[in-house]
Amino acid sequence: MYAWQGKVLRVDLTRGTFSTEPLRTDWAKTYVGARGLGTKYMYEEVDPTVDPLSPENKMIMLSGPLTATFAPCGGRYEVVTKGPLTGAIAAANSGGAFGPELKFAGYDAIIFEGKAEKPVYLWIKDDKVEIRDAGALWGKNVPETTDALREVTDPDARVACIGPAGEKLSLIASIMNDHHRAAGRSGVGAVMGAKNLKAVVVKGSGAVQVADQKGFYEACLAAREKIKAHPVGGTGLRMYGTNVLTNILNEVGGYPTNNFQTGTFANADAVGGETVADKQLERPRGCYGCVISCGRGTKVTNPKYAGEGEGPEYESAWGFGGDCGVDDIDAVTKANYICNELGLDTISMGSTIACAMELYEKGCFTKEDTGGIDLSFGNAEAMVEITRLTGLVEGFGKELAQGSYRMAEKYGHPELSMSVKKQEIPAYDPRAVQGIGLNYATANCGAAHVRGYTISPEVLGVPVKVDKDDIESKPGLVKTFQDLTATIDSSGACLFTTFGIGADEYAAMMTTATGTTYSTDDIMTCGDRIFTLERLWNLKAGLTKADDTLPPRLLNEALTEGNSKGAVSHLDQMLPAYYELRGWDADGVPTPAKLEELGIQA
Amino acid sequence: MKVRYFALLRDITGCKEEEWTRPADTVGGLIHDLVARYGSSFERWVMKDGKIWDLVMILVNGRDVRQMSGFETPLKPDDTIVIFPPVGGG
Repeated sequence: MYAWQGKVLRVDLTRGTFSTEPLRTDWAKTYVGARGLGTKYMYEEVDPTVDPLSPENKMIMLSGPLTATFAPCGGRYEVVTKGPLTGAIAAANSGGAFGPELKFAGYDAIIFEGKAEKPVYLWIKDDKVEIRDAGALWGKNVPETTDALREVTDPDARVACIGPAGEKLSLIASIMNDHHRAAGRSGVGAVMGAKNLKAVVVKGSGAVQVADQKGFYEACLAAREKIKAHPVGGTGLRMYGTNVLTNILNEVGGYPTNNFQTGTFANADAVGGETVADKQLERPRGCYGCVISCGRGTKVTNPKYAGEGEGPEYESAWGFGGDCGVDDIDAVTKANYICNELGLDTISMGSTIACAMELYEKGCFTKEDTGGIDLSFGNAEAMVEITRLTGLVEGFGKELAQGSYRMAEKYGHPELSMSVKKQEIPAYDPRAVQGIGLNYATANCGAAHVRGYTISPEVLGVPVKVDKDDIESKPGLVKTFQDLTATIDSSGACLFTTFGIGADEYAAMMTTATGTTYSTDDIMTCGDRIFTLERLWNLKAGLTKADDTLPPRLLNEALTEGNSKGAVSHLDQMLPAYYELRGWDADGVPTPAKLEELGIQA
Repeated sequence: MKVRYFALLRDITGCKEEEWTRPADTVGGLIHDLVARYGSSFERWVMKDGKIWDLVMILVNGRDVRQMSGFETPLKPDDTIVIFPPVGGG
């Protein structure tokens, strides 16, 4: 077969055995790969009511058909499992070069089952697979683990691993690959930790065959040129990274500050992308096959927060910056480095600290409880220290390691957790930008900006400007963005390619790569199918319409200052139309007719 | 009026913000004046095919001119104008 490698590696950690099996090509064609295919395997093989941290939950690492090809930004892979933070289907996407290496080794996916008796890591060199003891690595952080494993396997091997946060089952733990890249969200790192799986190490020497070499080359070349010619994809992201958004969101009054208590931050510029470029940027970095290079290779020379690494991205800079009331970019970047080293999701970490700061200022706990840490908004040193403690799951960090919802619930104020389905909301205030609120409420993995990034039209005007305050246009806009995103995530390419190309270009690349004809409509239908299957999984897991909501603050408390003053989210007015457009009933359940249309057997 | 710049427009203009005293009745008029002042490097990031680029984000007192009267949006001396060249993220 073409584009897909046609082979799945299944690892039984309980028995310490593994086997290979043919890829289900019928599933691959309709669910594409990565996110979509992983959801299909989960749907067919795992009881959605399973305890996410039990051996019965499975964890699947998948590439997509465009991963490791000439497709622009074809460097992605996905971790699909039941998320312990959310109880929902989790699909955490990451770049770097791990996904392509998995493909070069000959696999479309690795399915992890069971739980190892003691810490292990998986070493894959093409057809040679070993489950090895990882006792000496347990407790080590991400760079230590990565370097040690390359030393004992292959210096060019690619490593995906967990840090102490994942080992100790923090519900906001990430899986890190290539040192700095994160499959970050929903607590996927805790699933790996619960399986006693410290790392996956891969070295491949194969290649990916495409069906129509000339046609694929031409389709990819055309797509690459469009991205490079686009002012955002071709230039803007490389120069300032994603964090250029700080000032933009602040100017429109949608920059969540002090745990979403306001939508503007007086000194936002101090933690924005322009400041990072001036003070910390060493060079832009890209993942495998990247033509954009949004990554930030940075260095902090301030002795108090000295370090070197990648980031911060916009979401991370916001989480540790404005959301915590912190305007010290060196502290922000240091907290980002700590998350990468200890294996934490930066969005959930920043937002959970912000929630803790509000609880602290409201007197829900004291300095005695926190071990002497003054968790007042704006305290940069405290923000960095509590990040470290959370990553190590020590001291008061144990409280934050469970995420903001469980922490806030324990102290009697779950409404102060700025989360959806218990997953922390990213860096755009849904009161100031209506469509992104609808996306947060309906994203199957819990609040996530990269499930339907309507900020692009609503704020940036890419590809065209849409009124951010309008609500009538948003159900259709959100569905379109969610469906296209689901297919792109599943293809193995990067979502940022949409700053230049769209469904037409993906149809051309997918058709020539796989030999299966995908029209532009097919690209959107695949996304609809994937999104709907995720929804079915969640419903079977016990989630309901009641989970498609936002924190009461965002629905009831109007913004009090800034350029979106007076705004609240009008989710209740958008949700019914959204369900209808999706072919779901009034309770958010996909109708039999819709399932038949998509070819899904419930 | 006050004009504030972001991203590489700061490098081109050499400032984060400035008081602009030359009269400009509309956003379009202001942009043309700024192009005249800062030259081709500024023009490259705000103009396309001889027109003001619709991917440029211009806010007048916090409101996006693309949701007002576009480049015909009138200006007053006490307005604050914010200009972002085409950028993005996520």
